[in-house]
Parts: sequence; C-alpha cells; structure tokens
Amino acid sequence: MTLARKGHWTTVVGLVLLGGVYVRAVVFTPVERLQGPAQKIFYLHVPAAVWTELAMVLVGVASVVFLFLKDPRLDRFAEASAEVGTVFAAIVLTTGPIWGKTVWGTWWAWDARLTSTLFLFFLYIGYLLLRGAVGDAGARARYAAVLGICGMALVPFIHLSVYLFRTLHPQPIILKPSAPSLPPSMLVTWLLSFAVFTVLYVGFVMQRYALGRAREEGDDG
Amino acid sequence: MADAPHNAGYMAAAYVATALILLAYAVSLYRRAARR
Repeated sequence: MTLARKGHWTTVVGLVLLGGVYVRAVVFTPVERLQGPAQKIFYLHVPAAVWTELAMVLVGVASVVFLFLKDPRLDRFAEASAEVGTVFAAIVLTTGPIWGKTVWGTWWAWDARLTSTLFLFFLYIGYLLLRGAVGDAGARARYAAVLGICGMALVPFIHLSVYLFRTLHPQPIILKPSAPSLPPSMLVTWLLSFAVFTVLYVGFVMQRYALGRAREEGDDG
Repeated sequence: MADAPHNAGYMAAAYVATALILLAYAVSLYRRAARR
C-alpha cells in the first residue's frame, strides 16, 4: 500500500472516530453548570489548538534539521505539517469565537492569547504563500525553513501568554504543571478527542507528504 | 441542569463547522491526489 493510500485510510478512520467523539461529548458527557452545552466546544477547540501549536513546533524542528542535513524529506514534511496546522488553526479560530459569543458575550477580544493565535494563523498562511512564490526549490526550502523556525519560536509565547498577560482567555486546565482541573468523565472525552485529532494529523500529513513527493517527481520528469 | 444556559445552538454550530472544515480538507487532499 502506498503512503498516500495509508494516509487516506488513516484519515477515514480518524473522521469515523471523530463521529464517535461527537456522540460521547454530546450525549454521554455531563453539561457544565455555568457555561451550559457550549462548554462542549472545548472538546474540539482545545485538541485542535494543541495540534496547531505542535504542528508548528514540528515544522520548526524539521526546518532546523533540514538546514544542517539538506534532506528534502524534511522540507516535504515541514510543508505537509504547515498545511495541516493551517487547517487546525482555522478550526481554533472558528470554534473559539462561537464559544466566546455565548460565554463572554463577544465574538472576539484583542487579548494576548487570541491575537497571538491569529498571528500564528497568518504566519502559517505566509509560510504557504512563500513556498508558492519562490520558484527555485533550494531557495524555497531555505527561506521556508527560516520562517518555520520563527513560527516555532512563537509557540511558547502563545502557550504562556495567559500567564504573562491579563487575558480574557481562560488559563490552561489540562496542559499545566499541576493535575488537570476536570472531572474524570470530561477528561476522558477530551483525551479521546485529542487522540482522534492526532490520528487526523497523521493521516493528513501522510497524504500531503505523498502529494508533495509526487509533485517533485512530476517536476523532475 | 435546569439552571445551565440554553446555548446548545452554539455548540451545534461549532461541531458542524469543525466537521465541515475537516471534511473539506480531506476532500481537497483526495482530489489533488486523484489529479496526479
């Protein structure tokens, strides 16, 4: 089985499992008393946000190693991870304001976490535009690697922004030094959702990597 | 929960939007691969 087919079927499995997460979150996970059913947006928003950040970290790590080894597989992986990270960032920036409208009373606030996440989304877009704008493959990979490393440097700032600034955005309740502040039933739903987003990330990256490789082989031919 | 806010519509909107974004990207990858 080719990498593209493996990625395709991994994605299909991920989407089916996401349906299972929807059922568990909506039907079998308790409603939070203060926020109501809209709190369940958390089970999609946060896993997507974690993978938005992790995808950029992986772009940065692949970019650093690429600059030393010049292995085109690393550049191809960085490109694939950046595109998938953009998709997850779009989910974060769609679900977040929907939750904000009902819980905060506003779609958007220019606080540090929201603004830096929007900046990361624009950085992803810029990374993909840069790759499309540079014709020479060697220069494209080098320029993209530098931008990918800058993106990776932004991730710790985004994660810590809720501690560094006074923000409207809630502080982490799972990814923090102390134990998660969630009842077990909610934590299990979140962990299942995170596992499904991981499967989706892997499936999407496998497909996008295979697509990039096919394009390069087409250009060579 | 009688005293919880009635905002299930917002939850539904977020869940539908997430599914649409993921499905759209999955279809986009499939179509781009099929053109090769």
